[in-house]
Amino acid sequence: MTATTKVLRKPRRTLAEQSYLLEVVKGLGVTLKHFFKGTGQLVSGNKPSPVTDPYADGCATLEYPDEKRPYAQRWRGVHRLTHRDDGSPRCVACLCCSTACPAQCIYIKPAEYPEGDKRRGYERYPEEFVIDELRCIFCGFCVEACPCDAIRMDTGVHMTAFDLRSDFVYDKDQLMSHVGQDGTQKSANTRHEPGDPTHPGITRLHGGH
Amino acid sequence: MPSFKLDDREIPFEKGDTIIKAAWRLGIEIPHYCWHPGLSVAANCRMCLVEIEPPPGGRAMMLDIMKWDADKNDWVPDRKPKLQPACQVQATDNMVVRSTSSKAAVEARAHVQEFLLVNHPVDCPICDQAGECKLQDYWMSEARTTKRMRDEPVHKPKGVVFGDTIVYDAERCITCTRCIRVCDEVIGDHMLDLRERGNKNEVVLAQGRKLEGDYTLMTEHVCPVGALTSSHFRFKARVWTLKETPTVCPGCATGCNLWIDVDTREGRAYRNRPRDNEAVNRFWACDDGMMTYLREHDGRVLKARLGRDGVREDVKRDAALDRAAEVLSKAPKGKVAVLLGAQFSTEDNFVAAALAKALGAGLYLTAKPAWRADKILRNADQNPNRAGALAAANGARVGSLADLLAAAAEGKVQAIVGLGADADVDANALAPLSRIADVVLALSHEGPLARYATVVLPAASWVEAEGSFVNAKGVAQGFKRALSPKGDAAPAWELLAGLGRAMNLDLSYTKLREVRAALLAQVPAAHPDHAPATSAATDAKASAGA
Amino acid sequence: MFWIQAFVKIALIVGVLVNMAAILLWVERKQSAMMQDRIGPNRAAIEVGGVRIRAAGLVHSIADGIKMIWKEDWEPVGGDRLLYRLAPIIALVPPLCLFAVIPFAPTLHVDHLRDLYDPAWAADPNDHSIPMRITTLDVGLLYIFAVAGAGVIGAALAGWSSNNKFSLLGGLRAASQMVSYEVAMGLSLVGSFMIYQSVQPADMITWQMQHCWGIFVQPLAFVLFATAAIAETKRVPFDVPEGESEVVAGYFTEYAGLKFGMFASGELVEVCTSSALLTVVFLGGWQFPFVQNSGFEFHYLGLDISWHWAHFIVVLVGLLSFVLKVAGLIFLQLQIRWTLPRFRYDQIMMLGWRILLPAALLNVLLTGMGILFYNGLSTTGGGTP
Repeated sequence: MTATTKVLRKPRRTLAEQSYLLEVVKGLGVTLKHFFKGTGQLVSGNKPSPVTDPYADGCATLEYPDEKRPYAQRWRGVHRLTHRDDGSPRCVACLCCSTACPAQCIYIKPAEYPEGDKRRGYERYPEEFVIDELRCIFCGFCVEACPCDAIRMDTGVHMTAFDLRSDFVYDKDQLMSHVGQDGTQKSANTRHEPGDPTHPGITRLHGGH
Repeated sequence: MPSFKLDDREIPFEKGDTIIKAAWRLGIEIPHYCWHPGLSVAANCRMCLVEIEPPPGGRAMMLDIMKWDADKNDWVPDRKPKLQPACQVQATDNMVVRSTSSKAAVEARAHVQEFLLVNHPVDCPICDQAGECKLQDYWMSEARTTKRMRDEPVHKPKGVVFGDTIVYDAERCITCTRCIRVCDEVIGDHMLDLRERGNKNEVVLAQGRKLEGDYTLMTEHVCPVGALTSSHFRFKARVWTLKETPTVCPGCATGCNLWIDVDTREGRAYRNRPRDNEAVNRFWACDDGMMTYLREHDGRVLKARLGRDGVREDVKRDAALDRAAEVLSKAPKGKVAVLLGAQFSTEDNFVAAALAKALGAGLYLTAKPAWRADKILRNADQNPNRAGALAAANGARVGSLADLLAAAAEGKVQAIVGLGADADVDANALAPLSRIADVVLALSHEGPLARYATVVLPAASWVEAEGSFVNAKGVAQGFKRALSPKGDAAPAWELLAGLGRAMNLDLSYTKLREVRAALLAQVPAAHPDHAPATSAATDAKASAGA
Repeated sequence: MFWIQAFVKIALIVGVLVNMAAILLWVERKQSAMMQDRIGPNRAAIEVGGVRIRAAGLVHSIADGIKMIWKEDWEPVGGDRLLYRLAPIIALVPPLCLFAVIPFAPTLHVDHLRDLYDPAWAADPNDHSIPMRITTLDVGLLYIFAVAGAGVIGAALAGWSSNNKFSLLGGLRAASQMVSYEVAMGLSLVGSFMIYQSVQPADMITWQMQHCWGIFVQPLAFVLFATAAIAETKRVPFDVPEGESEVVAGYFTEYAGLKFGMFASGELVEVCTSSALLTVVFLGGWQFPFVQNSGFEFHYLGLDISWHWAHFIVVLVGLLSFVLKVAGLIFLQLQIRWTLPRFRYDQIMMLGWRILLPAALLNVLLTGMGILFYNGLSTTGGGTP
């Protein structure tokens, strides 16, 4: 196959284009067209729905908190801490997420379960779990790093705006109150509860161990 | 020197060395759990198995085994060499040892690793050892196989409190017995024992005992896995966020070599670990020494202040320096005393002595009182650098604090400048100091003398400044800076040199390098030639968890 | 009586203009949103008895005002305090002052509200009349050039007194740009002065009433003047005094709160003023097509329609007509601001000095030739101008 050469001529401006005036008028025409279309849609009230018809001509604004587009499952929103069956946090305060976090926005204070708790000695738990959502860059590394599927970003909620910086600092209770897009607060971690004498489920069958 | 061959490398050895020890001296690590250079040989973990070729003319020791043949779908007879633990076999001249080059040894190690993990809970996220765990390291380097056992692992006691300092997790334990051997051989007190056999095997407290004494943390230090955890570090931090810095224990005159692990993001010290030095502390450190990292945060002086008793006032460091220079310039000549500090580095003391010389002042020493000594590591002198402070005086007479108090009572001293607030006399005996109008002290920590100071300058701690200590045996050892100085603190030598300059004295030191050069010229014995001092044969990294 | 009138008119005009800044803020946001297929501001609301009044986003302007008042009034360290505080005032006051000479409706003769217009009223010394402008100056439009020139000082002072390199650069850019375009702006009106034979806005409108709108006799001047006027407002496409990637926010980088608000509203007032000027000089001022002092007059194409109105209606129509024309021009200016990409700094300078200035001179030349030619025609018995 022989190489073909296509000669492209450098586009030259015509006198009309060079004078700029005509082009300005043309440009104004384009924007005016949009202006009248948009105004018409807004005044008559039949603007296309950005949820069902996002690529329609005319106004494309999605009024976010009132109108929402469905998100992909892997879309990363505000964090949540998943629950165990008894409602305590899945998190074992391993600090993997705070280690992985490039923005260093996660602070965890690990603690031992109190005397008498069946998990004492087996696991630890986060006495404090704080995420500074202002610092967070929503990279999802914390979710990747978590060995227990305890932290997730599948809430489908955007970071909201607050008046105070302190409002962006989410504590453990706040993070545990968030619900996933599927409506549950559970995680996919089926590891049995430590200290449980029945030890239901040999989970390592499908684990890599 | 006799030598043997390990894989393709010639390893010289001393008579009586085992294979693993001779290799360890060269910094070559043969995987092992139960062997520790400072302990006797147990040979129970079977991780260090190597293949040893028969001597020339001899017959190889072979075992008859059955091997699975996938083609025939049946077991077939086979032979394989008999492997031997490298930690137990003594090296002989011209011996040929195969470790990584032996297929049988590599295979055996992978199987041993899998076997050790059979009942392991794999709770790495919860485990404090994660990140420096030999099970993790060797799984990555030797095994990388999935676990084939599908049964529920054996469950054993967890979170067993062995004493005030140690918590034991039997599920993570591989019963290498290092901790038991530490108790028996290093501490000389049989506090731990082993019970049951096979997969029920676990470490327990000896009958009627509790883990106590001055060296309990060494059991945790030698534990290659997360079975023993120290209660002070438990759940506090992850090791991968910590930065290790070589330091010297400020606890007593033994001068044990330590690592200090700090989190530079928080500016916080989290723990000490013994640093191997055959000449000083071998592999060990006492509990009090291991806890000295807490001194970085407890009782610190972080701000300059003026005035004594009720009328104290925090000021900027420079203001305090100016005030100190002013009052010391006014003090009558010959009635100034300079304090050396046995808790401060040789460099700090050297500059203090230089200041004394320039002022024509008498020298005295602040030090902590004697404490409990033992025959293992602890020295009766609680001060890490008494020898260094005396050496820094370079022949000048150094009085004790009692001498200073006597001189003060007689009115021979009217101004004091110096290092440290420690007193080796009773606090009530310090009263004569209140008669002295001007007491300028550079302090890293509060102490009994601090209340008599009229000007306090905040000094950096040993963690925050580079320096050296001279131990009771006269060994000078350097330590590195791990954290930047907190608050308004600065290295004490810098404060004193700045004070001297503010008084128009000839103290030109502005860099540690200059202080060290002067120290080398005047007191070479106190100079840390090899800072940090490490034993030449020991690769610090390789032995850190040995 | 004269002073009361003056004060009432000043209060009225300044009040309208300052409020226009707030309204134009909304217009600009909404118009740009419509052009870009967006909705524009609509969230701010005033809640009255559980009903949220959003007024199509107009409430945002109120919210902005409140925000600017309550913002921390930060001042840069090391700047010149007096000049720093003076600069926004100097930037806002000249555009407001420009309106002093602009007539926005025909003179109202109070005694003859319901009568048919009679030119004799103006000559009557006892007649009570209210001229629909703040004042009449002998220098006429020259006053506007003089005052508009003061606006440069505001930008330059702001840049200088902020003690910030970006501010200084922005101030320099603003000053040089405004000075450059003032030259072209002034020269572009010379042709109109020649035709109208006056610098008085009232005379210009009268001429246009009697003949035709200025835009038809001075089309080039209209384009030149409009371009230069947009450049004077320092808005896109001539917004080089500010630029995030080059000079941050230019000369008002260091301004916050109401001081910043004064710069911003100064810009919008300038838009109003330049539109008003264009209206007076080129679009017949308050004159509605075919409306004379006596009412609707159409005597072309063989038709002969006369529809006489009472005097106050004529004045009202004139006022409305002026407002409509200004509004239309503001719309055009905003449309241009949201349509065109910005120029580079060197392009702005080139356009000002090498195109607009020669073109303005050419316009003077052509106008002069035209007048000579036309006068020659009329002396030899030609038609009407």
